[in-house]
Amino acid sequence: MPAWFDAFAEAVAADEQWYLTCGACGEGTLPPRTVCPDCGATDLSREPLDDRGTVVSFTEISVTVPKFHGETPYTVALVAFDAGVTLTGQLRDATAEDVAIGDRVALGVERREGETPVLTFRPA
Amino acid sequence: MSTHIAGVGSTRYDAFPESSSRELFAEAAAEAFQDSGVAPADLDAVYVGNFVADLVEDQGHVGPLLADHVGAREAASISVESACASGGATFRQAVQAVESGAADAVLAGGVEQLSVADAEHVTDALANAADDVYENEQGLTFPGIYALLARQYMHTYGATREDLAAVSVKNHENAVENPLAQFRKAVPMDEVLASRPIATPLRLYDACPISDGASVAIVVGEAFAADHDLDTSVTVLGTGQSSDALALQDRAALDRLPAAERAAERAYADAGVEPDGVDVAEVHDCFTIAEVLALEALGFYERGEGTRGAVEGETAVDGSLPVNTSGGLIGKGHPVGATGVGQLVELTKQLEGRHPNQVDGAETALAHNVGGSGASTTVTVLGGV
Repeated sequence: MPAWFDAFAEAVAADEQWYLTCGACGEGTLPPRTVCPDCGATDLSREPLDDRGTVVSFTEISVTVPKFHGETPYTVALVAFDAGVTLTGQLRDATAEDVAIGDRVALGVERREGETPVLTFRPA
Repeated sequence: MSTHIAGVGSTRYDAFPESSSRELFAEAAAEAFQDSGVAPADLDAVYVGNFVADLVEDQGHVGPLLADHVGAREAASISVESACASGGATFRQAVQAVESGAADAVLAGGVEQLSVADAEHVTDALANAADDVYENEQGLTFPGIYALLARQYMHTYGATREDLAAVSVKNHENAVENPLAQFRKAVPMDEVLASRPIATPLRLYDACPISDGASVAIVVGEAFAADHDLDTSVTVLGTGQSSDALALQDRAALDRLPAAERAAERAYADAGVEPDGVDVAEVHDCFTIAEVLALEALGFYERGEGTRGAVEGETAVDGSLPVNTSGGLIGKGHPVGATGVGQLVELTKQLEGRHPNQVDGAETALAHNVGGSGASTTVTVLGGV
């Protein structure tokens, strides 16, 4: 698992998640970025990210890759945060039946032994 | 100075577990040499579109390997990797080499051999087209990515499952007559709707299959064609290419494909052709929603109107704009690195009046090839006589 994502997941676990904001154009982006994807500036700084976001889209996955075998069906959601960044993660405490585009959810994380952590969203 | 397709060749697309990339590529190339009258020794370069030979066949460095296998060991060879757009990007590199004057004759081919590994391994390899950490490691599969696009599109525009399924029905129907196609059996609407869910709202028949295959086009300049007395009935009118963020979460929009819009804009400008001047198109329908989004990005339909193509028969072989007369990726198959070149093989046949689903009077054709969920896209406009 990449160290940068491990550090990001650790911050989420501590409810100290953050994003990057561009000092030149104000665009929000996620780590690890050295250059703003919007304007090319390198003046990026960390800002705290509120843990609540809005469901943009979601899908219930029935056929998956080896890492998630035995876990289907599970629901993956794209969640947009007010700061202007979007994250991909798995829905918890709810199924695809319970969720709709526009719903508010809260960000969390699951650590997995020897694996990349999985971001999670719970109804909020 | 214009650039031409002197000849094309292609294997059938299917599972060929007893074959290999080198055998498939050579089979397609041999047909293209015969079709074009160009000999291997005439080639300045051999460009090979391929995505995962290194992961599936344990074979990297396929440019020179396959140049050698087509009898052009000393040509400048290179492989071009742009995920599922590898074929389209390869062809564009060949066109640019000829247009720049750096080469007179280039073999632009694509190949993928996937059935030699088990399905799980192949799925994992193909998932490399997405952002590994932010997408794959979060449990988002490739069909899942397109499912997120489909859900958002249906939400925004009120499109239905039936609207999407109509694309699958049309493309399966077109594949029946295509001897190069993997599935040559019509699939009715109720079967598409009842097929097993893979990533809601998408089901099995909303998706293209995993395929093996190779396709080759031989690209030449005008002077070379004249010197070698070649039949150059197909001209490359324009090409375009653009990129976008790899991860869906970094995109500006989910209900449209901006990279395809930019690639199309460039290709149309290069060709001096407007969308309504296109007579037949092959678009990248890896999933049903992908064809709908393509029709809109290419300017054939307004946003939110793309489902009309298949639902109202406008994109059928006898419709006002036939799309995927080959069967598309859904019906014909999708040997990833070959697909973009395979589209050009199909369109060359359309422009030469020898396609199994011939469109009457086809003079201008367009191909659209997408890598990943839209992070790379090529558009090619071809003209016939």
